[in-house]
Amino acid sequence: MITQHVAGRRRPPGRWRAALTGWAFVFPAVALFAVMGVYTIGSGLALSFAKWNGFTPNWIWVGFDNYLDLLYADPSLAPPLRKAAWNTGQVMVLVPLLTVAISLPLAVVLNSVKRLRAVLRSVYFLPYVTSGIAVYYAWRYILEPDGAINLLLRSLGLGTLAQPQGFLGNPSTALPTLIVVLVWSSVPIATLLYLTGLQTIDPALFEAARIDGAAPRQLLRRITWPLLTPLTAGIVLLGIRDSLHGFQIFLIMTDGGPGGHTDVLGLQSYRLAFFKGLAATLGVSSALGWLLFAGALLLTLANARLLRRVR
Amino acid sequence: MTYRARILTVALCGVLAAACSTGAQPAAEGSQAAGQSLRMWTFKQSHADALNKAAAQFKTDTGISVVVEAVTPDDVFKAKVQSAAQTGDLPDVLEVHAGGEDREMGASGLLSDLSADVGAEWLNRLLPTTREAGLMSQAVIDRAAADSPFKQVKAGTLFSVPFTAGAFGIVFANKEKLAAAGLSPDTPPKTWEEFLAALKATTEKEPDAGGLSLGLKVSQTGFNWVYQPLAHSYLGRDRFQALFAKGAAQGFGSPDGVKTLELYGQLTPYWMPSSTTLNIDEADIAFAQGKSAFNVGGTFTLAFLAQNGMSPDKVLAFPIPPSAGGQQKEIAMAPLALTSLGVTATTENREAAIKWIDFATSAKGAGIVASASLDLPATDLGTDAASLVGPDLAALQKYFTGTPESTYDAADNTFFPPDYDQVKPGDAMVRLSPLKERTPAQAGSELDEIFGAMWKSSE
Repeated sequence: MITQHVAGRRRPPGRWRAALTGWAFVFPAVALFAVMGVYTIGSGLALSFAKWNGFTPNWIWVGFDNYLDLLYADPSLAPPLRKAAWNTGQVMVLVPLLTVAISLPLAVVLNSVKRLRAVLRSVYFLPYVTSGIAVYYAWRYILEPDGAINLLLRSLGLGTLAQPQGFLGNPSTALPTLIVVLVWSSVPIATLLYLTGLQTIDPALFEAARIDGAAPRQLLRRITWPLLTPLTAGIVLLGIRDSLHGFQIFLIMTDGGPGGHTDVLGLQSYRLAFFKGLAATLGVSSALGWLLFAGALLLTLANARLLRRVR
Repeated sequence: MTYRARILTVALCGVLAAACSTGAQPAAEGSQAAGQSLRMWTFKQSHADALNKAAAQFKTDTGISVVVEAVTPDDVFKAKVQSAAQTGDLPDVLEVHAGGEDREMGASGLLSDLSADVGAEWLNRLLPTTREAGLMSQAVIDRAAADSPFKQVKAGTLFSVPFTAGAFGIVFANKEKLAAAGLSPDTPPKTWEEFLAALKATTEKEPDAGGLSLGLKVSQTGFNWVYQPLAHSYLGRDRFQALFAKGAAQGFGSPDGVKTLELYGQLTPYWMPSSTTLNIDEADIAFAQGKSAFNVGGTFTLAFLAQNGMSPDKVLAFPIPPSAGGQQKEIAMAPLALTSLGVTATTENREAAIKWIDFATSAKGAGIVASASLDLPATDLGTDAASLVGPDLAALQKYFTGTPESTYDAADNTFFPPDYDQVKPGDAMVRLSPLKERTPAQAGSELDEIFGAMWKSSE
């Protein structure tokens, strides 16, 4: 039986050639991943257990010290990190929540309109297309003391809501403002995902519910929301991931300021890598990156478990 | 082997032979050109242009060509040097931040020791307070953390030669705004109190565009450029340095510290709106655009203001003035080396690279760079300074000389914790002013906590 099994697996010469050709096609991608992916990931992980300034030929191995320093051992590193973690936590919770709260009703409305549907969809998708570094600079100009938002508020007679130091210069408005900008840039893709989800729902379900006397609010709550839960989970997960790792908006718009009020973990990692003079902090930066990865992994697992339970 | 396969084999051999022969040719040319062509990287665009002008003269004098490339901003420059160091593709010469980056790179094996090449005659060309910027003295090695690469370096090693110099804590005032507020546009305030009075006058005249600009998005600027010179002049050198000491009994929370923080806090009503959201360049540009009456920077700021359309003759420049109630009644800023030139350890053109650095730091070479970049060289230009860098920048040099007691030396970091991180005290100062989230006493306690943690961390 074993002989038969082995004989059954033996390939004729023509099939070997086909297999080799297949491998030859796959090889460049595999090699590229091995070098750019596996090697860099492995190197980054190893670096998190070392001290290095990026220049010396040798790393100094320190075991888990970098991780312990970040978590509690280094009195100079750990407290600001905890503050940045608190800010990151607020962003992680509020950005996905607000994104879902805005994009789902928006998608339902866009799905129901008959006229100008394509135009409206394009308009709502614009922030995603134009998102990037330039947009963050544009937002900075809008949020300045003499920027468009203050001007608008004053011209509407709402001068008391205007910010004399700009929305990014006031510690109480800086982080909420950044959260709003993050939500603004993440709503389009979430809306698009919801729109595709809405189009997969059988219209007969809605029709039957309407015949039974269901109001639009009940349709959304009892049919749309449960059927779109897997999509919602995906959108929330994307939002959490972006909030954990993203730092560009914080770097460009506030650099953690004013007075450290918008410092987040991604920005801390960037600073540890590139803005500590030439101190040997690349390992600590890498360790922080791995801690963020572990956090993202745990959230993904929790999300997957939640999804399974919902299904 | 079929006929077609044979033809292919012959063709392949031909291609290989051609590749080998053409590959050997550049190598021969390369060895022939060794010493005659240099590559240099700098992190300042204005320096690259000026250095390329100097390089043209250098080529005429020696036949050695130098190509200077700017890699900006700083973090990109650092990343590029890091990756080039790993791949063995460093240029022959690097311009780096003096008094820190040069030593770190040298101790890490990227820069070669120049102590045997740079003699007394060469060093004597330089401003006295800049001469030891690239030197690994025993004190520098002793102060380094136990696992620092400095510990592996022999005392007396010289990793760089100072190239540009200057001072921080220079206030620039818009003469037109001073005149409009009824102030003399040619008389700098002599005391901190006079400076505050001038700020009050300009702010009353123009509430939105009469204040003080400073790039507090880079929070340490307030601490480094305003607070430290102010506290130094108020307390005198020893009591000022005592603020930072390990286990400081006379720290920032002491009466000395709180008083100096109170003085700094007096700026609160006069900051330009949104100062905390501007970086250094943006604050300078805001000043050049007339959005503020005063701006704090360094000697290097004047060139940047000129690049942004503000003529130096419309600017009154003076150092942070001392408080009338303080120890020092006048203030001098010791010029520190801002950038320096180093020869990479991997260069195959060491002799030519040293010749180039020698030229760039000579009166002739430094003069070309200074006139093209409007940046002060570390080389003492003597009486030619005014004609080379312009009368306004040269006039700032008068603030470089003072008594040892009254001279604030920003390069002196001997009293800081070894792993000093200036962002943390910078953020604390922003919370004091302009945010008013802390009283001076609370800010003092917070600063003591920050420095205490740094000292403990360095243990």
